[in-house]
Amino acid sequence: MSANAGSLADLQRAFQAFMLAGDTGFATKVRSGGRASREIGLAVYRDGYALRLIEALEIDYPGLMAMAGPADFELMARAFIAAHPSRHPSVRWFGRHLAAFLAATPPFSATPAAAEMARFEWALGEAFDAADTIPIDADALMSLASDSWPGLMLDPVPSFRRLTLAYAIPQAWAVREQAPPGELGVDPADRPTPWAIWRADETSTYRSLAPDEAALLDALAAGGTFLDMVGAVAPHTGEDEAPARTATTLRLFVEDGMIARFRLSD
Amino acid sequence: MLLPDDRFGLGLRTDHYEEIADGGARVGWFEALSENYMVEDGGPLRWLDRLRRDTPMALHGVSISIGSVDPLDGRYLDDLARLVDRVEPMWVSDHLCFTALDGVQMHDLLPLPYTEEALNHLVPRIQTVQDRLKRRLVLENVSSYIAYDASEMTEWHFLAELAQRADCELLLDVNNVHVSAFNHGWNPLDFLAAIPTDRVRQFHLAGHSHNGTHIVDTHDHPVADEVWTLYRAAVERFGPVPTMIERDARIPPYEELLAELEIARRLASEETPA
Repeated sequence: MSANAGSLADLQRAFQAFMLAGDTGFATKVRSGGRASREIGLAVYRDGYALRLIEALEIDYPGLMAMAGPADFELMARAFIAAHPSRHPSVRWFGRHLAAFLAATPPFSATPAAAEMARFEWALGEAFDAADTIPIDADALMSLASDSWPGLMLDPVPSFRRLTLAYAIPQAWAVREQAPPGELGVDPADRPTPWAIWRADETSTYRSLAPDEAALLDALAAGGTFLDMVGAVAPHTGEDEAPARTATTLRLFVEDGMIARFRLSD
Repeated sequence: MLLPDDRFGLGLRTDHYEEIADGGARVGWFEALSENYMVEDGGPLRWLDRLRRDTPMALHGVSISIGSVDPLDGRYLDDLARLVDRVEPMWVSDHLCFTALDGVQMHDLLPLPYTEEALNHLVPRIQTVQDRLKRRLVLENVSSYIAYDASEMTEWHFLAELAQRADCELLLDVNNVHVSAFNHGWNPLDFLAAIPTDRVRQFHLAGHSHNGTHIVDTHDHPVADEVWTLYRAAVERFGPVPTMIERDARIPPYEELLAELEIARRLASEETPA
């Protein structure tokens, strides 16, 4: 053993400091010799660390890649890696803070559509991985006695996610494979648009929501009763129309597989 | 210990889910990557349950970080134990390395120094995992690109000693033996000769990237000729050990991997005639 050798803890800390920050102290603890030089061997670890994490982001964020192109995507990814080292044993969770990072960190924050694309793509992945459930069907709802409806409460399926996007992100995402890398354009939406994301069968899906649909879904997801939902819809439709519109919209959501179960308030 | 009727298997990869579901496994068993299924529910577990119904599986992890000086991750072990209950695998493996330190995950299989200190550190940790999972842990030799000044013994002596002291089993990755032997300039047959024959639970085969001065364990090519040659030597020494091929990048059609696995069957049958 040479004077450079350290304890197990010292060696591991030096190795990590080399991989995360390029600290050169670790090189003094590594033996030269063999066919591969010490410098080459160290480079395999250092380069591999970044490439693995960049690849994980590429898998989760193909729309962002289509917007940025490989060179800018890599710059963004390396900045994110430096700011957010992975803390989960599975690399699949590595990118979960990317949208917040892009929204808050110059120069990426100057392109707000990038953070929105990241939010949308992460929500799609979450929807795919969410717990299974068998959605209720419309017959179950329609068979309820009319005097039960005011206290009706519904739970969305576990994969359900709600976003409001200022850019036409889902429209751009849908054509991400047709655009040359780096040239996927994302237009501002006419107005901030509510979207629902969920998993139907085994595929993540999404659709835009009319303002009254979004208000209804938000009341539903907050644990409100049918009467609460009617109250949320009324400003958009008028009070007279609201009960019928609420019932019709709920039926649509049920038929789309967005509702896991219903119950009646006490 | 359960053993598959057909000892030749493949790594279970999402690219092949549909084809396996439609056309059948056509292999004796699958090796599923533990971390991909350590989730509460959802798509990955739906597929795992579906494919497990017809085909035995082993679980293979990359993040137990058995050699780290961090405490063992209790939540990780709980999740793994839950997956073990669900899958009822033939065995559970991970790598002899460290992958995390101070809670930061490097997502790489970082080698350990081959020292008495490292042995003393590993043995109680392996025993803790074995108690938690109620089975022997199977540990794989990793490819390495550096050697520590601090090492006091060879990798093969370290592995043999560890298996004995911790009463664990070994996953002999034949490609990793070849890669490390090339990079460090030692004889891979010395490695095989030192590993106790009764400790090897499984063989791995995989492809690598040869860069002239060094080889990197990339799992993105077919198994190399030199690795097939070493595999024959491994079968000759260790006998009919369950064998599978790993492919993690440039994943080819399932049929292509089945054809590659046929090479393993043929070579093994030549070394261990019925």
